[in-house]
Amino acid sequence: MSVSVHCPLMRRLQAPRPTDIIAGDSMDQLPNLGREQEMLLEMGLKSMDELFEDIPEDVRRVDPLPLRDPQSEEGILADAHRLLGANIHLDSRPSFLSAGLARNFVPSMVPMLATRGEFLTSYTPYQPEVSQGMLQAMWEFQTMISELVALPVANVSMYDASTAAAEAITCAVRVRSKRAEQPNTVYVSEKVPPHRMSVIRNYTQGVGIKLVQMPHTSSGLLDLEAASKAKGSCAVYVEQPNAFGIIDEGLMRLRGIIGDSTSLIVGVDAVSLGVLEAPGNWGADIVVGEGQPFGIGPTGGGPIYGIFACTKDYLRLMPGRIVGQSKDSDGEIAYTLTLSTREQHIRRHRATSNICSNETLIALMGAMHMALLGPEGLERLAMRTAAAAQETMEAVLGIDGVELLFPSTPIFREFAIRLPISSEAALERMDRHGVTGGFDLSRWWGAMNNALLIGCDERTSMDDIRKLSESLEKAIKEGSH
Amino acid sequence: MTTLFGFNGAPSSGWSQPVPIREDPLSGIPMSARRASLPRWPRASEPELVRHYTLLSQRNFGIDTGFYPLGSCTMKHNPRLNERIVQMPGIDRIHPLQPDHQVQGLLSIYYEMQEMLAICAGMDAVTLQPVAGAQGEFTAIRCIQEYHRSNDQAHRDKVIVPDSAHGTNPASASMCGYDIIEIPSGQDGRIDLEALKSAVGDDTAAMMITNPSTLGVFERDIAEAASIVHEAGGQMYYDGANFNAILGKTDPGRMGFDAVHYNLHKTFSQPHGGGGPGSGPIGVKSHLSEFLPSPLAARRERDENDPLGVDDGYWYFWEEPGSTIGKVQQWNGNAGAVVRAWAFYRRYGHELERMSEHAVLNANYLRHKITKPASIGNQAGAFTEGAPASVVKHEFTLNMTPLKEQNGVTAKDVAKRLLDYGYMAPTLYFPQIVPECLMFEPTETESKEVLDKFATDFLEILSEDADTLKTAPHTTFVKRVDEVLAARQLILKYPFE
Repeated sequence: MSVSVHCPLMRRLQAPRPTDIIAGDSMDQLPNLGREQEMLLEMGLKSMDELFEDIPEDVRRVDPLPLRDPQSEEGILADAHRLLGANIHLDSRPSFLSAGLARNFVPSMVPMLATRGEFLTSYTPYQPEVSQGMLQAMWEFQTMISELVALPVANVSMYDASTAAAEAITCAVRVRSKRAEQPNTVYVSEKVPPHRMSVIRNYTQGVGIKLVQMPHTSSGLLDLEAASKAKGSCAVYVEQPNAFGIIDEGLMRLRGIIGDSTSLIVGVDAVSLGVLEAPGNWGADIVVGEGQPFGIGPTGGGPIYGIFACTKDYLRLMPGRIVGQSKDSDGEIAYTLTLSTREQHIRRHRATSNICSNETLIALMGAMHMALLGPEGLERLAMRTAAAAQETMEAVLGIDGVELLFPSTPIFREFAIRLPISSEAALERMDRHGVTGGFDLSRWWGAMNNALLIGCDERTSMDDIRKLSESLEKAIKEGSH
Repeated sequence: MTTLFGFNGAPSSGWSQPVPIREDPLSGIPMSARRASLPRWPRASEPELVRHYTLLSQRNFGIDTGFYPLGSCTMKHNPRLNERIVQMPGIDRIHPLQPDHQVQGLLSIYYEMQEMLAICAGMDAVTLQPVAGAQGEFTAIRCIQEYHRSNDQAHRDKVIVPDSAHGTNPASASMCGYDIIEIPSGQDGRIDLEALKSAVGDDTAAMMITNPSTLGVFERDIAEAASIVHEAGGQMYYDGANFNAILGKTDPGRMGFDAVHYNLHKTFSQPHGGGGPGSGPIGVKSHLSEFLPSPLAARRERDENDPLGVDDGYWYFWEEPGSTIGKVQQWNGNAGAVVRAWAFYRRYGHELERMSEHAVLNANYLRHKITKPASIGNQAGAFTEGAPASVVKHEFTLNMTPLKEQNGVTAKDVAKRLLDYGYMAPTLYFPQIVPECLMFEPTETESKEVLDKFATDFLEILSEDADTLKTAPHTTFVKRVDEVLAARQLILKYPFE
């Protein structure tokens, strides 16, 4: 077994005793500290131990936890600065790493308002009478997502794009399987990134769903001829732009190819929909994607939020929470969670999903960001991103030995190039120049040794592009050893 | 209140424009793929939106605005330090695919959290990848499933859950393809060992259970239950929703569990944020650790050629477990939640058990204040206790059936009336085994004064006239909301037309 993370249970975690501890300092979270006896006495008890007497002795812990000493707020903050300060963050240098997340700019209003205590410290709005703020904000979020993808229904978020895709697939199978010529069968583009595929496999493997890979042509596009085999299956899952950043116009004809009885599920780059036609307008039944570019930084991969939107046919079998407009007993407009009979707390093992906690607060940040952009701001954001990608592509193609992996395909945020050296070596060398040059595609597909995925965003500057080009050129000149 | 879609200013309003980078930004994108019309998002400026969202926030109830005794949800105070830390670029501006040497600080925090959580639960290995409690359950059941398959036990297709379990338990097991066997609880709300004995067999894959139970009562027969399941060849799964009650006092490892999930958004104070984000790491015993999701944070002694890293003598790296189930979230979990939980843990260190002591102290105190006067006062007979027990753990339940029989006032009516008094309602109608159930969990971060006042107000409500309760709430942002109408009219977005 290769796991080397065994925990030495009886050993204290490594820290020496901090010097900044004042006794009781770390206990400022407990209002009743020092009043235990008073409270116990009122209950007719003598000691705290009596409160735990119901734990049988053979399972009781007697030793103190072998953990480090308590720290003061000041001490923790200093450690956080020291540890997180040891990370090299994306904004500290030119960075072209995207691969599913965006190095976005989040307007200052967003974190400041979303972390207001009334939002931050509330639970799922089970009591609508005192939760109108979050409920209305989520109803507005649903509206903006619905408008973005051109589908009538959206939920208040999934965990991320991959779980949204996975649950879209199980949802489509629930809706389609009974009448499908290929029951329990879903066709998935072979170029879905492997980590997302892994999530999809985990979510589908136990419930009898058969996943069939859909081939791509040598130009990186979905093989539309082969795609016709998906006709009669429960669903097709494709991504636009795809994992190589390619805008695949052929996908817009998929609906005609797979027929009306197979669900079309499309994964999107949410920002791209500022310039690209919304999948709901070319036949998608369900649209999923990463909401992260709207609302929050990449945050080490989470918390982020997944978008899930669909047509009304899927409404009663979809996962996640939904807010509906209603009225109160005075006839005033009010909002409330609705259609909860789909959910686990009511339907238990027959629920449409196990999802309970979702990513509401991050979706709220997304809503604020989207509202601040407005329609034209969204378009400008998308145009600026596309322009940066185009400009970067033209610049690196001027370097000797660099060529496009898939020539003459349109791109949005990212593009894949082939290098004369391994992309791993190139990235290492560029890293030493202070440039994060992109993503080594061989980490996803082992055979793509020399393939590099370069990603851009609205913040990619001409200076960044110049530094990337110089660095890449230098890395290549060092040769392949 | 007006909605966002009432804002219809100039197209230039909103986000400040970035510096253009080229004349023809869309030269690479074919016309046929372009969007015909833009989404009907609002057109608003920052001042308008700041006011909109501030007003919305004022129509929302959080821990910060009042007592939140929502049972099973552990609504404790969320320290502001944690919010300050996650705004640092060393977490906010980190991409999960960055190479190890760029994220030594984050890796070291992951490693420390994996070890700390393993110690607290008596487990051998921990993954921080699952992003919610339900996803933790799902992940653990997936690991157990692969464990059985690798031992030629793939025929085990049943998961046992008590009827008092959280709904996510059966839903998560069901998503892995398991059939669910629900066993009834005993009269006192505890496991019925006889029912368990007759439920286990050669087809048992696992049992999922929380302890203390959802009634707030410690399952004293837990070790015996574990051996019944183990003897049948099944695995024991611990739902960590109620971990706040026992941390440092006992642990799932001692009780005989093989796998456990933690709710960092309950026990370790990641804010609930109106429904999420959460974080649901899982811990497992060594026989399950090779199946954990990938990657885990690992470390080795730092050698001379390594960069300094975080200067603690170690080099940290991501590592794939040998027979990993792969991924349950696309990246490395909710890193922001992990960092918050890390800051919370650092405050307590080895004194984490004080947290549990005070959670249990507060729950027993509130229970005492509510049940004791009722037995002697004029509210006698309005409720009974959900489960008889000399002490409870972090939460307790009341059965409001007597009140309903007296004057038709339901548990829901009482809950709604509490809103008028400035409290969040307790958890309602859960667990389902207690009729007309109200479930209270005060947490360790409420003062004695708050608990005293709440008990007084609660008892006062029970003596109010039935009409006042049945039409409650009266002083909230809106009056009682018609949930049936919402489901009937299904207005799920702004009606632009």
